[in-house]
Amino acid sequence: MKQKPGVCTFCGTGCGHFMMANGGAVERVFPSQNHPVSKGRLCVRGWNIHELLNTAQTIPSPLIKQNGQCTQASYDEAVTHVAGKLKSFPPSAIGFLASPRATNEEQFLLMKLARAVFKTNTISLASESGHRNSLNVLHAATGMAGMSGSLEEISKAEFLLVLGSDITKQNPIIGSEIHKAAQAGAKIVTIDSRRTQIAKLSSRFLHITPGSLKLAVAAIARSVFREGLIDADFVRSSTKGFEQFSASLASLSDEAITKGTGIVIKEFQQVAETLKKAKTAMAFFSSGISGLDEDTIGYIFNLFAMSGKIGREGCGVNPVAGLNNLQGGYDMGCAPDLLTGFQRLSDPEAVKKFSSAWGVELNTTPGSSVYDLLASEPSKLRALVVVDHDEGIIRSAEAIQKLDFVAYIGSYTNRFMDYAQVVLPMARYIEEDGTFTNTDRRVQLSKKKLEAKSGILPGWKLLARIAQQAGAAWNYAGPAEVMDEIARLTPAYANISHKILAGAFGGIQWPCNEKNPQGTPHFDLKKAGVTINFAPVSGVFDLPASGADFPYLLMIGKAQDFWHQNNLMKKTFIPLREYNATLLDYPEGYVEIAPETAKALQVRNQWQVKVVSPYGELPLAVKISEDVKPNAAYAPYFAKDKIIKRLIGHSEPLNKGEDATVPIRIEKV
Amino acid sequence: MYLIRKDDILTIAKALSSDYQIYGPAVEPLSGQTFFDPVTDLGEINLAAPIPAAPPKSVVFPQTERILSYRYAGGSAPVEIKPDYKEQPKALFGLRSCDLTGIQCLDRFFLGQEFVDEVYRYHRKKMFMVTNTCVKPFTYCFCVCTDSGPAAEEGYDLNLTDIGDYYLVESGSAKGKDLCEKLKLEKAAEKHRAEKNSRIDKSISQFEALSTESKAWVSRVMNRVTTGFAKEAVWEYVGDQCLECGACSFVCPSCSCFNIADSCTASGSCDRLRTWDSCSYEGYSRMAGGHNPRKPVEDRRNKRFFCKLSYSQSKKYLRPGCVGCGRCNWVCPGDIGLPNVAKYIRRETTSREQL
Amino acid sequence: MNNGTKIVTIPESATIEEIKDEIRDVKTFYMSLDNKKIDKSFKIKSGQFIMCTVFGAGEFAVSLPPSPENDRFHLTVRKVGSVTNALHELQAGDKVGIRGPFGNGFPFEEIKGKNIVYVAGGIGLIPLRSSIVHVLQHKKDFGRVIVLHGARTPDDLMYKENLKEWQAFPGFETYITVDVGTPGWTGEVGFVHTLFDKVNLPIENTVAFVCGPPVMFNTVIAELMKRGLRDDCIISTLERHMKCGVGKCQHCAIGRTLVCTDGPVYTYRQIKTLGEQI
Repeated sequence: MKQKPGVCTFCGTGCGHFMMANGGAVERVFPSQNHPVSKGRLCVRGWNIHELLNTAQTIPSPLIKQNGQCTQASYDEAVTHVAGKLKSFPPSAIGFLASPRATNEEQFLLMKLARAVFKTNTISLASESGHRNSLNVLHAATGMAGMSGSLEEISKAEFLLVLGSDITKQNPIIGSEIHKAAQAGAKIVTIDSRRTQIAKLSSRFLHITPGSLKLAVAAIARSVFREGLIDADFVRSSTKGFEQFSASLASLSDEAITKGTGIVIKEFQQVAETLKKAKTAMAFFSSGISGLDEDTIGYIFNLFAMSGKIGREGCGVNPVAGLNNLQGGYDMGCAPDLLTGFQRLSDPEAVKKFSSAWGVELNTTPGSSVYDLLASEPSKLRALVVVDHDEGIIRSAEAIQKLDFVAYIGSYTNRFMDYAQVVLPMARYIEEDGTFTNTDRRVQLSKKKLEAKSGILPGWKLLARIAQQAGAAWNYAGPAEVMDEIARLTPAYANISHKILAGAFGGIQWPCNEKNPQGTPHFDLKKAGVTINFAPVSGVFDLPASGADFPYLLMIGKAQDFWHQNNLMKKTFIPLREYNATLLDYPEGYVEIAPETAKALQVRNQWQVKVVSPYGELPLAVKISEDVKPNAAYAPYFAKDKIIKRLIGHSEPLNKGEDATVPIRIEKV
Repeated sequence: MYLIRKDDILTIAKALSSDYQIYGPAVEPLSGQTFFDPVTDLGEINLAAPIPAAPPKSVVFPQTERILSYRYAGGSAPVEIKPDYKEQPKALFGLRSCDLTGIQCLDRFFLGQEFVDEVYRYHRKKMFMVTNTCVKPFTYCFCVCTDSGPAAEEGYDLNLTDIGDYYLVESGSAKGKDLCEKLKLEKAAEKHRAEKNSRIDKSISQFEALSTESKAWVSRVMNRVTTGFAKEAVWEYVGDQCLECGACSFVCPSCSCFNIADSCTASGSCDRLRTWDSCSYEGYSRMAGGHNPRKPVEDRRNKRFFCKLSYSQSKKYLRPGCVGCGRCNWVCPGDIGLPNVAKYIRRETTSREQL
Repeated sequence: MNNGTKIVTIPESATIEEIKDEIRDVKTFYMSLDNKKIDKSFKIKSGQFIMCTVFGAGEFAVSLPPSPENDRFHLTVRKVGSVTNALHELQAGDKVGIRGPFGNGFPFEEIKGKNIVYVAGGIGLIPLRSSIVHVLQHKKDFGRVIVLHGARTPDDLMYKENLKEWQAFPGFETYITVDVGTPGWTGEVGFVHTLFDKVNLPIENTVAFVCGPPVMFNTVIAELMKRGLRDDCIISTLERHMKCGVGKCQHCAIGRTLVCTDGPVYTYRQIKTLGEQI
């Protein structure tokens, strides 16, 4: 049998596929018909993954930069250089940027390298904080730092709430599963400031004013409360903290809600009624590159908790990770204050366990986020080790250039390499065994399918070498042993091993331990035996304000046409052609406006206009679309650096959730 | 016409394996998915397995391959161009009639029309085809609506039909006959042919009960397609559901659109690659400079459907392009495989509420 | 069909001998095939196209000039995408790859004795030019010959030297117009179809060649038909994204037809029944 099962490694859906490799190249990729999540489907990226895997744009050998010139070096030379350099800095000056695309084993070893060998807790996932917000809220509420539902159970949900996520473009197969549930009779309600594809496929679409998603969710929760639609038994028997939440809802008025969201109260009431009628329900929202803030996620969770739609089959509050191993990255402790499985540095029991297992005294002072350090002047950060990363460079290029030492570890060529003094190639995921944890906590094993190009080391081996060079006695026989160590240290992964995963078609969802030997599809309240905590919420709704001078609210959102800087897409042909289409028409970015707005401004498609905010101005091309409301405009993510510099002045609004919103006016030029 | 005991069926494959690389249906144990791939251990072949998930067209039209490589250093340096045509004798053992029809469509298209496609011709040389009659249909099948099954009628070297303890082995070419004679197969009688026909009738009668996923009155819809009468709102409903993944073209046994890209390696030589492409993609028809005659997704869905059921017939294949395999139905992330689109057109479905 | 060598799948190398700048973003590349045997027998019909490989970048389709016996083999190319951008970086002495010639050509035999009207919008003059040159060299075979060229601005007018030549040629009626005038422009201003009345367009026994951007195309056709010209007397050359050029990749499909093998020259009657918009 030449076809080998595997996992797609683009987005957080974790679709199953089969691959046929031959003589150093991938000949074929084909969907896995019976895979529990993808059920035989793949998206344009997944169908063309062989183009990425066959690209020649891989890093061919270790490189060391001397006097501005990059020279090829051996692994020994490069590893010695890196270990030596890092040892020369105090731990508080060293940072690690982990890759949300790398395998669990690689992420774990990087985390161990940072903490056990170089004694620093400054390790961040190379992606924004959005997913951490989701995990914080869900962990505090349920004890589970991950999606509470299961993608496999979407077909069992009678009500699906999609909040501000262009899900058919970001995680297409999850979008597909939601659509199919609707074709079979489930109700979909989408709440978004833009008419996305899933909005068109919904039973009901609430086209809200930009920046008002939290208010919209609160409005539904308020209707549930006021109309007596709460699941009183459930709230009484299984939850804590409802009073504080219901009190915060009482202060909202009909007028404030309608003014802020642009939606009449009746619509929210009808959503509340549909939610009540459904026996099972799930909520989906983007988590990661521009996820929601904790307050908003808190409201979403509380809405489902008060409706009794949590803790059983077909139910769940589901943050959707945009990258294949973003969930795994947090599971592996790639955060300044976390150990694996959301165990904290502040927990003496956990610290004792790790210290004893690793034979080192751990530094228990939490580190800082690498991005915070890079943004601060003067920066405490002097050395940085980066794995397979392209996002941060856009935000912090100047700060990174000022660092004393940067080491880059990756498989594909990447602009970040220009900023590194040492570049260390590592083998691609199909060249070694490794596991990935998708957005529904599903740990899947990807087995080796190709031999790595001559001399290129797999990630686990490379990281072990650096550790050994720095004096640590790491002796792993292979990635399976690394997973065994993860399992020993991580209660949620306790029964997971490569051997078990090899026989588990479709992977295993954690927690998988003595209590849950087959894994845990959905958060099971009865089994977990916990009380659900309502998320504390602020009761404050900061709405961006438009006015006479700045009459439009500009959303700056994910561009479905531009996926994570297109770094991977650029190495393909067909996905690049598809992802490039908008870029080629609008190379400097665009501002999307409604036809009425265009008429009022007397502009046509592709015409240049000047977008002016209270802070500054930016020239953009016009794109007319019916997907935005007349009082709103939309600019895509790929013009982000210009938007930060010239329209906003700082990146903070862009960290606040799905649609960063800025009041603007548009001037004809 | 010959007979061979069921237990001995692999002797045919074994005999072929000395001259050909054998391809046959095998079930991947962990997932239960059927593939039609090169087989080294003939014991893996399972003739009772459902139609393979991936269409066997990849045997003659691979998903990605290099068709030539070139090297040019610039200036007055010479240009070295090396074609990379691949030729390998292949025996397709256990091909279903729908997939055979797909290969026949590809033959007429690649080897006919104005030019012969050399790349395809090389893949296609020295191919021995042993088809396997479907004595019962599978969940997504509808070959009875597209005149492509459940039994192959021509174009094979050998055709197998399971008639109980034996397989009926019909030869469809001199190559096929020679093999049967070489293996000294028992000659079959008229009663065996009658048994075959009754099995085919039984298979056809089971479509209603077993092929539950692809019920579509394709022939009825052909009328609307050829007269161009399908409501525009139906195409918008179809287009709304399209996730532009390209899967429908990739799994279709008769789809053959491809992309050409030059990929340069670090050593200075460039590979000209040919990969599967799909008219579902927006970039498929986009011209340099930005003009895109098929930009809205509903236009692309419309085009694909018409191409498959109408345009193809007059010139390319001389028969409808659809072979009734049903793959586009299970692989589609929306709900718009060909049978479903046919259903929407016939019923003029423009929204989910009308389902 | 085979008039001389057709290079179908493997490109033949050709050396660029001279490069001339035309209007902004447009250059003409004069070249000859390296294999002299093929070079001698390489015959093209005006209206056909070839696939040109820029080594390292890719391949693109480009319409052909008149036959070599009248002119050096050359390609006039506007830089608009990644491959044509790479082409514009080349110098004299560099090599490209050539496959072709493909497609049908202009139907000169069928139109002998008729009046010919050329309506060329912008760079639509490039594919028509070879036909105009052919007619110029065989003027006595045709009736009135009218050349109407419109461009957005005076800077966008193509082949200015040729236009002057044609304006002076006896029996050729050549008119130019621009959509938007610039200071110093003393000629006609207005869309190209506004010239129809001015030139007293013939309708009987007349064939019109129309080539230009889609918006212009539809307007011009409408105006011609309004005046009574039949749809099978209007001829155009269509362009599409092409990859193989030989009728296999199907990127150039419009409804029932493949532009690379059935076209690129079509009558408007054929265009109407293709089954898809152009």
